[in-house]
Amino acid sequence: MKHDPMTQATLALSLSEIAALSARATRGAGRSWGEAEETAEAACWLARAGLDWAGALLEVLQSPDAGAECALRAGIALADAAALSGTPPNIQFRVNSCCFLLPFAARMADQTGQRIRLTAADLQVVLAPGACPLIAGPVCISGLAQVTISPDPHNGTPCPDWPLTHRGTVLATEYARLTQFMMAFTVPASASSLAGAGAQGSDND
Amino acid sequence: MTCEGLNPMPQARAFRRKPDEVMRLARMGCSHPTRLSFLRQLLRRMQAEGWRFDRPVWEIDAKGVGRAVYRAIGPARSYSLVAFAHDLPPEARSDRVIATAWDATFALFDGTPTPADLDRLAANVPLQEAGRISPRELSLSRANRSVRLFDHVVERLATGAQPDAAMLLETGYLMRTTAVYGSGKFGAADRATIAQRPELSAPFQAEMLSVWLTRAFTVDLVEHLARARGGDLATRLAPELKRGLGVGNSTGLGMAPFLIRHPVLLNNWMLAREEALARVRAQTSVGQAELAGFLTALDEARTNADLWTSAHDIQRAKLADLRGSLVRLVAHVAQGWDQSAAHPWDDLWRWGQDTLTLEGQEALLAAMLEPHGALIDGLGDCMDADEEAHFPINGAMKVTELRAILQAHYGWAVGVDYTQRSQCARFWYVSEDKLEPRLGERHDEPGAEQELPLDTGRQAAALWQAIRDQPDDLPVAHLLLAAPEHRPAVRRAQITARHPFAEIRDNLIADDMLPIDILRCKLAFFGATRFDPRSDRWVRISLFQGTPYPGEMNGGGDEA
Repeated sequence: MKHDPMTQATLALSLSEIAALSARATRGAGRSWGEAEETAEAACWLARAGLDWAGALLEVLQSPDAGAECALRAGIALADAAALSGTPPNIQFRVNSCCFLLPFAARMADQTGQRIRLTAADLQVVLAPGACPLIAGPVCISGLAQVTISPDPHNGTPCPDWPLTHRGTVLATEYARLTQFMMAFTVPASASSLAGAGAQGSDND
Repeated sequence: MTCEGLNPMPQARAFRRKPDEVMRLARMGCSHPTRLSFLRQLLRRMQAEGWRFDRPVWEIDAKGVGRAVYRAIGPARSYSLVAFAHDLPPEARSDRVIATAWDATFALFDGTPTPADLDRLAANVPLQEAGRISPRELSLSRANRSVRLFDHVVERLATGAQPDAAMLLETGYLMRTTAVYGSGKFGAADRATIAQRPELSAPFQAEMLSVWLTRAFTVDLVEHLARARGGDLATRLAPELKRGLGVGNSTGLGMAPFLIRHPVLLNNWMLAREEALARVRAQTSVGQAELAGFLTALDEARTNADLWTSAHDIQRAKLADLRGSLVRLVAHVAQGWDQSAAHPWDDLWRWGQDTLTLEGQEALLAAMLEPHGALIDGLGDCMDADEEAHFPINGAMKVTELRAILQAHYGWAVGVDYTQRSQCARFWYVSEDKLEPRLGERHDEPGAEQELPLDTGRQAAALWQAIRDQPDDLPVAHLLLAAPEHRPAVRRAQITARHPFAEIRDNLIADDMLPIDILRCKLAFFGATRFDPRSDRWVRISLFQGTPYPGEMNGGGDEA
């Protein structure tokens, strides 16, 4: 049961573990706290949907350019702007690791109260307010992709309900890499900090 | 969730205290447990629903090593505390989170564990953070003996005598937990998996159940060891002595950031308590039963204050304040309180505000709530939170509205000069060794560049500066595109606008900030007593002292 990347190919994490690891890894990768908070939320959304949250996150964090083609930044901007117009936009843009856009597109659906369709290469995802995504095609496309986000014209196939599981899996190698990012944001506890926290005392009383 | 629309007493709103008064650390650091505290909610529910309790496994040897299972059987589901008792050499005993071995380790299992479950848990639970539990477990914890008292009790019981009552009172527990992890930690079930269950929907119910069953285990263990040592001569712990024992808890900085990182939850806790106080103050008479209950609560508060000791200077001063205030309060209630006033409880409260120390005022609050269960207990249902629903930022909000929020709720923050050494003396960070929150000295220690975003006041002030000269109609979405560094502060401000008790209204990086004030507030909501700081950042407390044991509940059970 221990997390030992040397002996296990995949690990199962709770959502709270995914959130904590994602936020800290994002911060460790040099991103802002605002982005770290968004990453935690997005990673949990992907895990609940059964998608490769860790692979998508690592692709975002390892991308040398965190500019306009960063899925995290693009997603945050789109989600923030969703309430401005009140209706889903009809836009096309190029973005890296487009899988990481999905949680933000879902939030656009929540904020506008309308179904949204995200298309990238052979991937089509329908996102309805509060529902699990309806996915067709290979979901996680690596590298740069042309993405289209638009209102979903078909109100046909209903999106599935969220599964009751609250876990996510991660490859041991990905876990190790995310942990490596995370550790870059930690600080060695100082002696005075440990003393103040009672670490140097005995408990034999 | 919000219960505002269901409020049966809208007239109480006029009696509510303002967040600027309530959400200050000096006052939060004087919090007392109330009948809305989480352990009280747990015991009330189990009592009302007639939960039954048994101990299906007891495989502990004469040295006190082995495993046991304590089961709580509710109307819909059962929960089992799986306990592992260990032989811990004294030199390995540490009550801080950095320890690696303990006298006993525990997991709360969802249902009844099979032998295979127990074997799985035996391979992991004793390792604590170094092990791994599963979604079948709701909490993971460990405890160390209060060695001096534990040995004394075993020794006395083994000879057929009762332990020294004064020693029991002085310590108050046989074991103290050093960490109780829940909510998905180390592989346990996430909060979301159990939040919809009525018996666990209030905050920290699984953790409270785990600690309460641990209390029964500690007594069973001393009686078992006494029997093993004394044979037929041994006796059991007298019920009145047993009732006075709780479970100790040693806790530190790790739990302090929780209240800052969960603003909606904090709001709901505080708002429930404040609404409860307002409902009592809004009453137009003092009933006989309520008066009797209030007097009993005051009496118990005085007894508790007399028994409550601490070696820490800050707490000793607070205890002196509390004892002095309680003396004045009791005298006023006997001779000065006008019970025929239009709102007699409000009359008493206002007297307390004008007369008593903060310790005394918050003790008065707890005593006033105590006899009003029918009026306020339903507020316990409002103390959970759907935090995910409040996460998205409203990008359509205009800067003028954001400015108004900061003016209304962050006056305490925006006027502070955070370039002064004293106002930015500390920084919160995550420690490399245990991945736990810690507090550093900014001007003396490295690591401030990895600061956690708990400098809420400084962030609000920076946001205020950033939006002062922006156009009124600029949407937040556009503001954040240009200045993404303000994103956490914008989110907190938007949450606080809807949840006025969400924010601790003090500078959390100032040199005079006391983390123990945050701890005391949170622990009071748990129901903790005997708050005993050992420094400005870690404390010992007691849980469940004076409460029934499983066998004393309505449903009863096979109490060993």
